[in-house]
Amino acid sequence: MTAPRRQLLLIALVAVTLLVLVASIRYGAIDFSIAEISRALASLLPGRPEPTLDQRIFLELRFPRAILCLLVGASLGVGGTLMQALFRNPIVEPGLVGTSSGAAFGSALFFVLGGVFHIGASLWSLPIAACAGGIISTYLVFLLARSREDGRASIVMLLLTGLAVNALFMSAIGFLSYIARDPQARSITFWSLGTLSGANWKSVEIVALTTILGSIVALRYAKQLNALMIGEEEATYLGVNVNRLKWIILSVNVVIVAVATAFTGVISFVGLVVPHILRMLGGADNRFLIVGSALTGATLLTLADLIARLSVRPAELPIGIVTSAVGVPVFIFLLRRRQYVF
Amino acid sequence: MLVGSNITFRVGSKELISDISASFAPGGLHLLVGPNGAGKSTLVKVLARLLRPQTGTVEYEGVDVSQTSEAELAKRRAVLSQAIEIAFPLTVREVVMMGRYPHFSGRPGPTDEQIVDEVMEHFDVTEFKDRYYQSLSGGERQRVNFARVLAQLWSHSAVDSCRYLFLDEPLTFLDIRHQIDFMKRIRSFTKDADVVTVGVVHDLNLAARFADQILMLNGGRIVAHGTPAEVLTTERITHVFGVEPTMVQTTDAGIHLIFN
Amino acid sequence: MKRLIVLLFSCVVLFAAGCARFHNAPTDAKDARYVVISPIYNEIIWALGAQNTVVGIDLSTTYPPEVKNVQTVGYHRALSAEGILSLHPTAIIHDNNIGPPQVVQQIQQLNIPMKTFTAKNDSFDGTKALIREMGAYFHKESRAEELCNTLDTQRAASLEKVKQYTDHPRVAVIHFGRASNVYLVVGKGSGGDGGGVSQMIELAGGEMAVENTGGRGMQRMESPEIIAKANPDVILLTDYGYDRLGGSTDQIKALPGVATSNAARDNRIFRIEESVLNYFGPRSGENIAKVAEIIHKK
Repeated sequence: MTAPRRQLLLIALVAVTLLVLVASIRYGAIDFSIAEISRALASLLPGRPEPTLDQRIFLELRFPRAILCLLVGASLGVGGTLMQALFRNPIVEPGLVGTSSGAAFGSALFFVLGGVFHIGASLWSLPIAACAGGIISTYLVFLLARSREDGRASIVMLLLTGLAVNALFMSAIGFLSYIARDPQARSITFWSLGTLSGANWKSVEIVALTTILGSIVALRYAKQLNALMIGEEEATYLGVNVNRLKWIILSVNVVIVAVATAFTGVISFVGLVVPHILRMLGGADNRFLIVGSALTGATLLTLADLIARLSVRPAELPIGIVTSAVGVPVFIFLLRRRQYVF
Repeated sequence: MLVGSNITFRVGSKELISDISASFAPGGLHLLVGPNGAGKSTLVKVLARLLRPQTGTVEYEGVDVSQTSEAELAKRRAVLSQAIEIAFPLTVREVVMMGRYPHFSGRPGPTDEQIVDEVMEHFDVTEFKDRYYQSLSGGERQRVNFARVLAQLWSHSAVDSCRYLFLDEPLTFLDIRHQIDFMKRIRSFTKDADVVTVGVVHDLNLAARFADQILMLNGGRIVAHGTPAEVLTTERITHVFGVEPTMVQTTDAGIHLIFN
Repeated sequence: MKRLIVLLFSCVVLFAAGCARFHNAPTDAKDARYVVISPIYNEIIWALGAQNTVVGIDLSTTYPPEVKNVQTVGYHRALSAEGILSLHPTAIIHDNNIGPPQVVQQIQQLNIPMKTFTAKNDSFDGTKALIREMGAYFHKESRAEELCNTLDTQRAASLEKVKQYTDHPRVAVIHFGRASNVYLVVGKGSGGDGGGVSQMIELAGGEMAVENTGGRGMQRMESPEIIAKANPDVILLTDYGYDRLGGSTDQIKALPGVATSNAARDNRIFRIEESVLNYFGPRSGENIAKVAEIIHKK
């Protein structure tokens, strides 16, 4: 696909994302019409009457949730692209490789220890704890899976190590649920299946910061990631400092995924499916992929959240169920295509 | 001019190359030969600065190359290795364009696009430009890689500095026709007065046929360095490789070796 | 995004006079609409005949069968603020066992009235107090008195029936905790949810086989020693946990420590409805007899 066609595709993706955003803010347990939405927004202006309950639901629950959903979807999509570029294998994503469960563990540990040591939950301490957990788990997998001379992790080793690390951290979370007094830490369903029900503007601020900054940094290194696709040695010959690149991208990757996970629990398969769709549509150039997967991830997760909120309303499905229901068949389909170098 | 002085490279306690000094002039094809484990590949990697030797220096045009940045070096030094494995759907044009990466930041300019087109034409891979690299045969892939490497070294302007091309066993996985075709292309490229070309090949006959200078290594040390006629003697080959050749001289193409 | 908002805002200014469509709750203050997130509260509300005010219940509320006609807002520890509020409740009635915490916070921030009753159904007297308190709240005082009297009468009758049994079987009660996804053993004595169970078993003529540790009332079956040391004559599993294993005795015997017990040997492993055993309610009077019957089955 040529560059101009790719740009057109990206513009189309932006349009789709906006459409889906509108649907997300309109529909749910309560449906809002466009007029009601405008009134709710208008109530923020000075001199207007206080917002009604429904308007407050929109402004304080629905709207931040929709935005958070976009941001988390974007960060998971970009996380998937970066991880695949880093491990030079298209069948990896943060959920499979332990980043999400490590981040969830960091968060759960924070709640437990926070209760014990009475650590004040400052706005940033939770995301930082999540990042610490995510870094440990990802690094563990990275380290254990590098079995080949050219430094490229064999995909079998990656998936197996990821499996093991996932199991390790999820059982650690189980243990924390066991000993925890804090009700948040006790809710293991929250961590393992993910939900956006806790969205508020504070969390939107933090996730927006990490997602946008992280994506910008990633874009700056996109060309170097492209070079990495043909091999570490080859990339070095093309002038890339491979070690430095790996550390930077790994850090960005972990941060954006971990922070999102701290607020929503583990949501799997988005990072796996999104880059694949994009590669099928527009090729493997990382500049295109990073922007595209941010948009596509945002769209897909918003659709998943819509399903989670509408299918059993007024109750809600945990969003991880929806993403797994779609993601697992796709994963199996991809495995069977046998186009991958194992 | 590429000059290596007193190069020693060790891994753990094992010395892969010991105290090697050699110089390589531009305008000719220098080939390294030797049995397995002789250190040929290691030496090429040290000369290309992928590896840092424990002792010794490598100089490009008299400048110690260990002080040069990766990005700078990449503009005038390229390495063609064995066929690379790509796990993602990249088109041929995208692969070749990577050769231009050291020369632009952000998006490729019109010069880069033009060079890529020229280089693909030169290696007869233009017809493949939108096909996926993964779908090509071994010979086709190496032509694409050669195109990429050449794009990295391609220079339109009057030559400002010497360029360095390293070949790390690029003929593996190629059939005989492609091997010869390849060597011919390399030869014609290296006639350019401003390119230093150093390569590793296994086949002594190919080396004899195409090299201007041969450097024979054994056990990490230089055994001989000179023209093919000087280096490839029966005794030396027997001693180093453990097989005795019969030498056949033809008028046009030089030495041929026949092994029983 | 900004452009979209500006566009919408202009439309609002233009159509401000015309549009008067509201999607909101009935403004009539007399219409009470409650979302009740507690199985026992719901049972009492239905017994009081006040169910018309209930617009939403939680997933764990299963009695009486008519509750099926009311919308459920999900599992009580995995609620969604929007879901609850979409029913436009005038108040949310709960027993302090709701989550996740951020959703509770959201509801509080929106100033939705939340109500918990002070009386607890941890004993017969507590239950009667609760029934009366709820009777007052729902303006069904006389019905509440009826229920309390029935409770007393039935309890007396059951205790008479219990006297006919001569043995006092040692009973272990195994419950499945859905939030924590594990099987729990109920310990003897008061504290936590175990209080009600203990009392029911003892009133029914049995003896709680497992001691209470840590005062929590229920503990995880993390080691086979818990059941093995207790060696109960009878094992009761509450409905969800029993059904989860498909009622298969083999799978139940596979739970830690069960296989070696007397109960397993004599096949005295029975299913019991959580609502019958776990907490006191309007039916607890007659439930004593039911429990007695089950645990004395041979």
